[in-house]
Formats: sequence, structure tokens, C-alpha cells
Amino acid sequence: MQEFDVVVIGGGVSGLRAAVAAKRAGVSVALISKTHPLRSNSALAQGGINAPLGKDDSPERFIEDTLAAGDGLCERSIVQSFAQEAAKEVLWLEQMGVPFNRDKDGRLDRRRFGSNSLSRSCYTDDRTGHIVLNVLYEQFQRLAIPAFEEWFVTSLAVDGETCVGAIALGLRSGKLDSFAARSVVLATGGLTRMYLPSTVSIGTTGDGQALAYLSGARLMDMEMVQFHPTVFPKGQGLLITEATLGSGAQIVNQQGAAIQVSKDAPRSKLSLSISQAAQNGAGSAFLDLKPIGKDKILSFFPQTHELLRSVAGLDCTKDLVPIHPVAHRPMGGIEVKASGETSIAGLFAVGECACNGLNGAGRLAGNTLSEAVIFGKRVGEAAAGYAKAAVKKNFPAAQLADEEKTLAALASGDSSQDSLSAVHAELGGLMNEKVGLIRDAGGLTQALDRIARLKERYQKIKVRNTGRIYNYELTTHLELGAMLILAEIVARSAQARTESRGAHYRSDFPNLDDTNWKSHTVAKLSQGSTQLDKKPVAN
Amino acid sequence: MQVTFKVYRKDPEKDGKPGRTNYTVDVPDGATVLESLFKIRDEMDPSLAFRCSCLRGHCGDCMVRVNGSSRLTCTAKVSAYTQKGPEISLDPLRNVPVIKDLVFDWDAFMWNKIKEVKPWLEAEETSANGENSVSDAAMQDIRKVMSCFYCGMCDEGCTVLPVDFNFLGPAALTKAYRLAFDPRNKDSREQVKIVEKPKGIWDCVHCYEADEHCPRGIEPTKRIVALRDRAFNSGITHEAVARHHESFAASVKESGWLDEGRLAVESEGLTNVKGLMKLLPTAAKALSRGKAPIPYMHSKRPDADKIKKIFEKAEQEEK
Repeated sequence: MQEFDVVVIGGGVSGLRAAVAAKRAGVSVALISKTHPLRSNSALAQGGINAPLGKDDSPERFIEDTLAAGDGLCERSIVQSFAQEAAKEVLWLEQMGVPFNRDKDGRLDRRRFGSNSLSRSCYTDDRTGHIVLNVLYEQFQRLAIPAFEEWFVTSLAVDGETCVGAIALGLRSGKLDSFAARSVVLATGGLTRMYLPSTVSIGTTGDGQALAYLSGARLMDMEMVQFHPTVFPKGQGLLITEATLGSGAQIVNQQGAAIQVSKDAPRSKLSLSISQAAQNGAGSAFLDLKPIGKDKILSFFPQTHELLRSVAGLDCTKDLVPIHPVAHRPMGGIEVKASGETSIAGLFAVGECACNGLNGAGRLAGNTLSEAVIFGKRVGEAAAGYAKAAVKKNFPAAQLADEEKTLAALASGDSSQDSLSAVHAELGGLMNEKVGLIRDAGGLTQALDRIARLKERYQKIKVRNTGRIYNYELTTHLELGAMLILAEIVARSAQARTESRGAHYRSDFPNLDDTNWKSHTVAKLSQGSTQLDKKPVAN
Repeated sequence: MQVTFKVYRKDPEKDGKPGRTNYTVDVPDGATVLESLFKIRDEMDPSLAFRCSCLRGHCGDCMVRVNGSSRLTCTAKVSAYTQKGPEISLDPLRNVPVIKDLVFDWDAFMWNKIKEVKPWLEAEETSANGENSVSDAAMQDIRKVMSCFYCGMCDEGCTVLPVDFNFLGPAALTKAYRLAFDPRNKDSREQVKIVEKPKGIWDCVHCYEADEHCPRGIEPTKRIVALRDRAFNSGITHEAVARHHESFAASVKESGWLDEGRLAVESEGLTNVKGLMKLLPTAAKALSRGKAPIPYMHSKRPDADKIKKIFEKAEQEEK
């Protein structure tokens, strides 16, 4: 058994920031990550990280823009403290070594990104997530924090109402081990892999949300899944940063004529208008990057240029790039306070797996990375503070043996002829079609029916690989299980919300309904099924 | 299209011996190698192990050898490798310990070596109220180096690593450059001191394979040369290396070509009796086999003066 004061699960930007903050607060910390941290989904963030650093900017304007993107569902106090801390945290990143692009005076340059009302996003070319992640990993290594890389957490250990650690499978050793902790921070990322295509990495499967939910924690605003407007939609989906729009790129039809969309609208509106333009006979939409100019494309968007060439076979300095809105990031997640505390003592959550009300019904472009570092720090410190004060509880002795049995059960008995990828493919298509950009009551009912059937099919698929070392069939099985649990909750929450708001668009309820729905949806596991409640937005 | 994938196999939980399994699968047009691997694992062999994460060329995790060349499976299109026939071989990277099938030991291959260069900036938390004021040109250089996504292709192409697996390798040395050349680093000599030791920058043979292999154009060899210059110019380099360099340059400058006898003696140091004694057996062998003229003479090449002028010009420019 491993023992630490704080165990952080997830090695992306939120998790690394939390681990660094907890360690600096003077407690023992370990990080568990199912992939190498530098391969995590944070590396895919491109456009920038928001902070009100400009002379023309202020925390107040930043608050307004964030609230506007959240479309009435943000928790104002969270947004306020976030906006107040953003500049300090971005400057901290700079001091720790992020080589942000500079203006001619050597100060941090900023660019216009998404529906920010002015240039607010600091950036490192079009690799902001990758480089922020790298610098955080540098500082993480500087503190010599033990890292359990390629370890997959299979369950949380909850004693009564208190989280006392987790159990994880070492992919390399093939062995399960217990991690006793006074506090546990979930920083496991989003869930958008339940949509196909999507913009995310293969591991973005909602593991943390499902673990927390199964342990009794509440999930909030799960119906809110943001679609990204400018994605090359073939194959796995390749996101092209909206910062290209801020730099002059145009949305056009096949003939190259501009499609009338408001480029600085929130992502939900932009996605809807691209989708509707396609349906209204304008044909597919394309992104025309040529107005940016070849030199600027190569210097500010080198990765976009490289990946469009290698993934799509397109030269974006010459070719139009087909685009379509594709599922990107959830706003909902594990319900947490500003400190990251969940409804389970000792269990904290941060970043994309968590929901503190910052993003409401729509996340402002460039806020994802800011959120990850600002709350990563805060939650890491809170988890360390909790660990210092917590009475040490024993790790339930039988749980490791129980977990062995659970994993063995997945592999025992005959498997159906079905396959995990067939179930996943059907789930992905279903979520896109019925629980995607445009939803209605009939489609959501169908979706729930089909999710129930997919769950039945899933139960009959056994893990056939009897080895334990790098058994990716086993981890894929566990990940699909998490996605099926959460898909149902996303669809149930979407069914409950009979209005349109932010990323949630109901064609049968196309209007905002503040009278009935200025509320979060909250889902909780109760006697084996999902119980849905409303929680008013605190203003 | 029917394609046969000939995949390297090794199972540490069975006999642990390397082998190969052929899988013939029907893959759609435009499929990637990674998508084919998913299909094989899902429909034919659930035990097949291979890594991947981002699925679209961002992260470097899925690097293997496709028909012998290192490639990311997520961006490698099957059709690009079946021109000569519907067969594709898949192997782990060369000269790397393999754990299972296509999953090899990234720790031993790269991550542990990167750790050796103390891969972080020594920065203080409250160093200033605002950002460090530095030029974008300086940051652009660091951004270029930090676009490295640890795909391992530079180390895979390196010609030293197959001979000496303990060589730090171009990926780790490039990371050292990122820190040594970041103007914000409070102790930028630290990394230079680390990589200047044996198994570091002086073991690079300048074959430029790393630059040929790097898919991001980071030019690791150029970074290693810059670290050498830094080590040399800041006096960090140990004396024998410095003497070797100086003697090498002086000999070519004066005679137009390398005086190997002089290089050996001057590298050891004229007052280093113990070191010079070590050279005697080699000198004796060379003499006995007629590899060295007696008496020892090193004549000037024709046009040696022109070479001298090149040196003088370069020295002038450096000033």
C-alpha cells in the first residue's frame, strides 16, 4: 500500500497545478495518471489562456464576458474570484518559464479569441496547452513529487462519508495497489469521447466523474456539452483554433463566398449558425485561412498548418478546410465548491471533470486553461489544508481484494460476439445525433432507450485478454463503462431542461426560460438509479 | 482494402520471446495505421498492446516503426505504406527495451534521460509583480524548442545511441538547451554543467540524423552545438576537451590539416606526464607499423595560407 497526504488523479494542467500547489503547501503528494502527463488531453488546447492584462481590460470586463458566455447559468461569486486571480496566475506561469508570445515592448502579447470582447488571450503560437503543460510538468519534477505514470484508477476508497484513497492498476506491472490518502483530488478531465467524432484524446472518457458519482458525489449541469465550431470533422476530428478567426480567417462556402455568421459570437451560437447554414442549402462550411496571410499562418499557427497537412492532407495556406461543429468540452461535472470540495469529505475535484459554476451553460474561449491553473492551485491548497487537519482514517482493508475480484469478474464467463468498439461507435453516433448540438424530447427519449440497450450489450462483453501487463482491452472496457453511465446522465439532464440555454439547444423549447430554469441540474445516484434535482443559480 | 499487418509481438507474462503475428484486416480507404490497430485489437486479438493518446498528431505517444521507419500511427495512412503490396510491418522503435508488443520502455529510452538534465527553470515564485520583459525573438527560439512533443524520432535516428544506450541523446540535450538558453533561468550554467559530463554533448558525433528525423524542425544537433559553444566559452568545459579543441583548430589553421600526433600530445597536456605516458604504447604501435613517419614531420598542405585566412576571418567575425 502507498500512503500520501494528498493523492492527485490526473496528469493534465489541472492535476499538475494542484499537485504543485499541494506540495508547496508542505504535505506529501503523489500523482496518478493513466497516460504520461505530457500526453494528456491538455496538450491539445491551442488558442490561448485568458487574463485581463491589457490596459483597456479589467477583471470587471472579464467577468462580463465570462457571464455572457455562460448564458445565465454561471455562479457569479466563482466568476468574480476567477477573474480577480487570472492575471496573477498567468504571470506565475510566465515566471515559471512559459515562453509566451511578446509584443514589441517585450510584454505579454494578447490576441482576440472567441467571444472575448477584446484581446485577452495570452498564447504560445497555437500550442498554448502543450507548452503550459510542459512548464507545469517541469515545476512538478522540480518538486520531486512521486508520479505514478500509466496507472489507471479503478475505484475510490470511501469509508462512510469520507474518501480515504483510491485503488489503481499499474499498466506496466499489471498489479493493483492501494493508495491511502487524507484527501484525493480528481483532475481526470472531460468526457467528450462519448461523442464521435470529438476533439479530445482517447482517454477523455469521464473516469473521474463516474468514480465520484458511483461513490455518491453529485454531478451538476451534465447536459451542457460545448461543440466547437471550427473542426475538420473527418476521421477523429481535428480542431482548428478559433484564434484563426480573430486573426482574419473567414467562414465560407465551397465557392469561397463568406457565410454570414457572427465570428465573435459565443461558441454555441457560432456552432448553431454553421450547422444551420449547412442545412439551409448553403452546403458545407469551410474555413478560409488565406486572409491571415501565409507568413502569419506559419509563424502564429505552425501546428495548425502541420496537422492539417498530416491529418487532412490540406495546405491551409492555399486550400479551404471543411469544418463542422464537433463535441468539444463539457461545462458540467462533479459538483464542487470554490475550494474544489465535493459532497464527499476528503474528495476534491478540479478542471474539466468538475463543475463549480464558472462556465455555466457555455465556456468562454480561452477560459479552460485559466480555469485549470487558477482552480488547480486553489484546490491543491485546499486539499493540502484538509489533509493537514484531517483525522487519519484507515484504508478499508478488504477493498483491494474486492477490486481484484471485480476485475476478474469482467474476464470470467463467455463473451458475446459483440465488441467494445461497436458499442462505443454506436454510442458516439447516438450522442452526436440525439444529444448533440440540437436536441428534442423525442430524440432524447430514443437516446435513453438506446443507451439502456447499449448498457445491456456492454454487460455481456467480457475482457478476453487474460494478461495484466498493458491490458488495454481491460482499461478500454472500464472507460466505456464510465462513458455509458455518464451518457445516460447527460441525456437525462438534457431531457429535464425544457428550455434552450448556452450549449443546450432544444428545438422543441427554443427559448431561454429564466422563470423555470435559472437553475442547475444536479444528478445523484440513489438506490441504484439516477435522481435528478434542480439547484437555483445563486446570484 | 485487405492489408496484412506483420506485427512484432512479445509477452512478458508468457515466454517473453520476441515473435511476429500476421493479421489480415479489411481497412476502409483513408484509414490510419492506428485505426487498423484498433480493429485488430477489437476483432482479432485483444492481447495486442500498443500506445496512443491524442489520436491526431499532437502527443507523440503512438510512435512505432511502420515498414521500418519511425512514424506516428495516428497520422500514418495505410495507403501510403501499401504501394509495393498489401503488407505492412509494425515494430517498436530500434534499440529500445520492449515491454509488450509495440509498447516499449519510454522511461529508459527518454524520460529518465530528460530527468537527468534537471528539466526545470530555477525560478522564484515571487520574483516580480509583472512578467519578465524579454524579446519575442528570444521567446520564439524557446517556443520552437518546446514544440518538441517527445515523439522520440531524434533519439531513434541517433547514431550514437545504438552504440552507447547511456548517451543522453538528442531529446534530452534539446531539453537542456531549452533551459540553458532561456534568458529567465536564474542558474542557466547548471544544465551546461550536467550535459558537459561524459555521455553528454561531447559524445554527439554530428551526424545530423536527429535534425533529419525531427518532424518539427527543431534541429537538435544545432542545439547540441550551441551547448558545446556555451560550455566552451563560459569555461565550464574541462581542460582536456578545451585543449583538444584548441589544438585541433591550431593545427588546421597552421598547416591546413590535422596533425594527429600533436593533437594527441596537446590534448593530454604538455605537463601531464602521466597522460603522456599513456600515449606511448599507441605511439610505439604506430611507429612499428609504419603509420608514423620517422623523424616525425607534419608538413603544410599546399595553399595552407588560404585556410589560415579563413580562420582569421572567422576569428575576426567572432570578435
